[in-house]
Amino acid sequence: MIRRRMHIVFKIIMVIGITGLFFTSCNERSMQGMIVFTQVSKDLKDIDLVTGNSWRYLYESRIVALNPDASEEKLKVLTEGYFSACSPEISYDGKFMIFAAQKKQNDIWQIWEMNLKNLKVRKVTSSNENCIDPAYLPGGRLVFSKFSTNKAVIKEHSLFTCNIDGSEIKQITFNPNTNFASTVLQDGRVLTISKQLYPDHRDGMFMVLRPDGTKEELFYQGVKGRNILSRAYETKNRKIVFIESDKNKEGANLISIDYNRPAHSRIDLSSDINGDFHTISPMKGGMLLVSYRASEDERYALYKFDPENKILGNPIYKNTKYNALEAVEVEKNERPRNIPSEVDMNVKTGLMLCQDINFSDDQNVNNTSSTSKAVRMEVMGMDSSLGIVDVEKDGSVYLKILADTPFQLRTLDVDGKIVSGPSSWIYLRPNERRGCVGCHQGNERVPDNRQPLSVLKAPLEIPKHLNKVVGNR
Amino acid sequence: MNRIKIFVIVGIVVVLGVLVYFPGQKLAREHVNYMTAVTDHPLLCSSCHIYTSDNKFISKLINEDYYSPFNIAVSNNGNQLYVIAQDTDELMVVDTEKKEVLYKIAVGEHPHSVILDKSGKIAYVSNEWSDYVSVIDLESSMVIDTLRTGNGPSGLALSSDEKLLYVVNTFGSDLSVIDLSTKEELKRLTTGSNPTGTELSPDGKVLYVTSRRANMATYGETLISELTVIDDDNQTPMKKDVESAYLMENIAFTPEGDLAMMTLIRPKNHVPSIQVEHGWMMTHGIGIVEQKKDGRVVQLLLDEPNAYYSDPFDIVITPDGKKAFVSSSGVDRISVISIDSIRTLLANSSPKMLKSYSNDLGISNRYVLKRIITGANPKGLALSPDGKRLYVAEQLEDKIGVIDTESLENIGAIDLGGPKRITVARQGRRLFNNAGHTFQNQYSCYTCHPDTHEDGLVYNMSGKDMGRNLTNTQSLREIGDTAPFKWNGKNQTVYKQDGMRFSTVLTRTEQFSYNDLDAIVAYIVRGIKQPPNLMYNPNGQLTDAQLRGKLLFDRSEDNLGNVIPENNRCITCHPPPLYTNLELSDVSTLADTDDPMLFDTPHLNNVFAAAPYLHDGRAKTLEEIWTVYGEDDKHGHVNDLTKMQLNDLVDYLKSLRSPEYSNSTPEIQHGSFLHSN
Repeated sequence: MIRRRMHIVFKIIMVIGITGLFFTSCNERSMQGMIVFTQVSKDLKDIDLVTGNSWRYLYESRIVALNPDASEEKLKVLTEGYFSACSPEISYDGKFMIFAAQKKQNDIWQIWEMNLKNLKVRKVTSSNENCIDPAYLPGGRLVFSKFSTNKAVIKEHSLFTCNIDGSEIKQITFNPNTNFASTVLQDGRVLTISKQLYPDHRDGMFMVLRPDGTKEELFYQGVKGRNILSRAYETKNRKIVFIESDKNKEGANLISIDYNRPAHSRIDLSSDINGDFHTISPMKGGMLLVSYRASEDERYALYKFDPENKILGNPIYKNTKYNALEAVEVEKNERPRNIPSEVDMNVKTGLMLCQDINFSDDQNVNNTSSTSKAVRMEVMGMDSSLGIVDVEKDGSVYLKILADTPFQLRTLDVDGKIVSGPSSWIYLRPNERRGCVGCHQGNERVPDNRQPLSVLKAPLEIPKHLNKVVGNR
Repeated sequence: MNRIKIFVIVGIVVVLGVLVYFPGQKLAREHVNYMTAVTDHPLLCSSCHIYTSDNKFISKLINEDYYSPFNIAVSNNGNQLYVIAQDTDELMVVDTEKKEVLYKIAVGEHPHSVILDKSGKIAYVSNEWSDYVSVIDLESSMVIDTLRTGNGPSGLALSSDEKLLYVVNTFGSDLSVIDLSTKEELKRLTTGSNPTGTELSPDGKVLYVTSRRANMATYGETLISELTVIDDDNQTPMKKDVESAYLMENIAFTPEGDLAMMTLIRPKNHVPSIQVEHGWMMTHGIGIVEQKKDGRVVQLLLDEPNAYYSDPFDIVITPDGKKAFVSSSGVDRISVISIDSIRTLLANSSPKMLKSYSNDLGISNRYVLKRIITGANPKGLALSPDGKRLYVAEQLEDKIGVIDTESLENIGAIDLGGPKRITVARQGRRLFNNAGHTFQNQYSCYTCHPDTHEDGLVYNMSGKDMGRNLTNTQSLREIGDTAPFKWNGKNQTVYKQDGMRFSTVLTRTEQFSYNDLDAIVAYIVRGIKQPPNLMYNPNGQLTDAQLRGKLLFDRSEDNLGNVIPENNRCITCHPPPLYTNLELSDVSTLADTDDPMLFDTPHLNNVFAAAPYLHDGRAKTLEEIWTVYGEDDKHGHVNDLTKMQLNDLVDYLKSLRSPEYSNSTPEIQHGSFLHSN
């Protein structure tokens, strides 16, 4: 009797369990193959490359999902209940999506993550400042732009990283630039549009840096007079694709550069196509997913683009009321390399070595100028000089500099006159060691194999009395 | 009742299992954490206890016999390839049409190169670990003769009249000139250090010999490697200095004879190793030697700003002189070079510009036409006589790649029939020779450890501050039982040596996965053999001087009869068979630029081939360890020795060799029938 009752209870439990499993799995459907994009009804005029308004921050936008193989299906709105939601990025396993959103009008923009199987959303950041343009890093972390207002001189969007659960938020850029639209290259580095704001505004360029903020350097300068307008994505054949404005900053074109040699491999993929492009991302199979409109009177729609033949296909999705932007395919992708960090927050300084301050790519190639020889280097902070040091006979200099502090370099002759500089803004992360060949080295310059005289001595401290500033190292 | 018994037994087993499992697992976790220096390596006993086992039975079970093709020659009609199978000590004859191996001919140990005479009937094979060349009659497929050479025969070339055979002796750093009529060595010419490649100019007037190691120099002095130039008429050598380059593996002439082109690497060992970006550790390229009076030696890179083409090995030039092909063995690529573009660059560039180009990562864009993907570890190259086919020895694929030189496409490989299973150690060897685990593929393990040895350079590893802690590269041959590792002995296992620390300090990219780490450890610990020491100890019979030296090595009293403290006797810290006691010592060699540390006692087998010496490479020779740097008698009690005694001691040290050779005698292959299928 007891045994029979136990059998009945067991069968009931099994039925309940299987039924629950069935209904749960019904709700958890994969979105693989779908296209997720941002819809915004507003006109996209007056984009602000400094604040990000109408460009990175798309107010009253929403994120939707489209099944490209079933065009008769309705769009699925993924961010119902959000006042604004944009900037979607898909995780490398294709299972999650991060995006930036504000729940209500005037809310601070935060980073959110959605499980693409059950569409459940959780908040990642709870910041007092706007957060935008998140991207997945390998190793369970994110990189994103966050507005910083605690700088005395400059207010800008710096890059931050955090764990996927929002913990351990760390700032990784410290120059007076505003940084937007980050993506992660296969080599593990972060590629971002960086625009100098101080002392003067300069055109944005692609800077690349390791996820701990070290080794920040120029990746692609852009063409003078044109703006970089979108995130850059790396394709499987190692091209970097992005949108760049036309001359005079009107219109926008599809640009491709080679990862192997980004500074000298620019190709305009859309040179024969009239109209504007807004955003671009790679698709499985080698095609590109683009937002395009034939004229200013139209809304941006989604198209496939064949980069080999430079052909724009038929529209995948068009809507007369909404612009379709920032489209990404929900697919598994190869995870980038997880680069180890050299940052040690217990160390307050970084080390910098210059092999020869008188080295210049131009000078060495065509040495007809009679420029004075530089014998000193000045390190300049945001509002004052941090110090002037003598360089060694071979032109080398080895410095220990306060970490996470932006500085510029300029070289001086024996009379104190400026020979070259100032350089772009540089910062060193705690414990970072950075080397350069010379003050005007190109990005393609490799050091000579010789031991700089300066490393035979202790590094010169910047600012002087650095130990008093940081205590024992 | 029976059911109760079963329940009781099962219960006891479960309880025992739990009692063993949890503490056992804890012990296992602690053990693995210690061995691997991480806390999450999978608890797989096989990682260490199977794959790194020195038990012969287990080793035979888990390993395979691969061919590992290394160099190739092509028959005059292009129908056959002659392939050096380096790991099975054979010359394989391959039909290019049928794409199959016809037969295999046993040669000496660790064969290196094969060349054919003009008739195509005779092949010469250098046997690097046997110190002789096999002479093979290709019609009968028989070894008909052997020719004694110097130590470590590698590159081969025939004189223009084919009366002489030039044999490059890598280990001896010289060149044997062999009279083919008498089969005797006529001359022995000094070359650069560790030479390998050789080629006769098209007009038959000069022979070039490339070297792999730079000349010995004090750290900080300009690195210079020697290109030896030998007059074919009278066999007199001259040299050309090649600055800031080494590992010049092979060389080829344009058919016009106006240029010679060689592969090379430009290391940055004098620059603090603080980053990898911008070629800060290694760059790879070609050297171009103009064949005219006061001809320049120009170096150009194959690398690009964000992509490096590591370990260029062989170079061949098409018969029409238009294209050169270079095998970049660290990245599984063939770089195709336009020679006309090179000529244009040379003609239009001032000397200052050319010097600048040697450090310019963008310059390859002007002459590299294409990069062709190959199988694992492309080494030797050979062109068909009509120049239409390029054959590539894919060493760690056991295949010969075939490339159409007009379309520049890979048109398929010839399978040599090696084992299909890729063993753990083989995977480790692939990883060792592939630059994919360094940032932007800038260098592989092979780059600093060519042939699993060391590159003879001292690096500024700048562990803490730049300019401190200079480090002499160490050999990786037979180090499996010589823990701890690193000069300061901080790494208790190879796992730790190549784990997270490796990625943070050296490769600057993602560390090896645990599977890959297991594989590379298996290869390093058990897969690397020492060559025999044929130069100083060919058969275990020590010379009189070496025997006297052994007595000095083993002595416990000095020349005056005083007892030498036990911890200052050579034999104490360097006992056989590995000649290391595996402990840390202070031998008074700490430099002002070193952080305080004790030094791990290095093993001494084949120490004759490991110059320079000491942790920072300051001793250029073994003698200098004591004559220049041992005045305080802290590194062994030696200052009472006479010069003759010191010579004897050094002779003994040079005789030290792997214990594996203790019971073996070198095999000499006479003109006998040795033909295998």
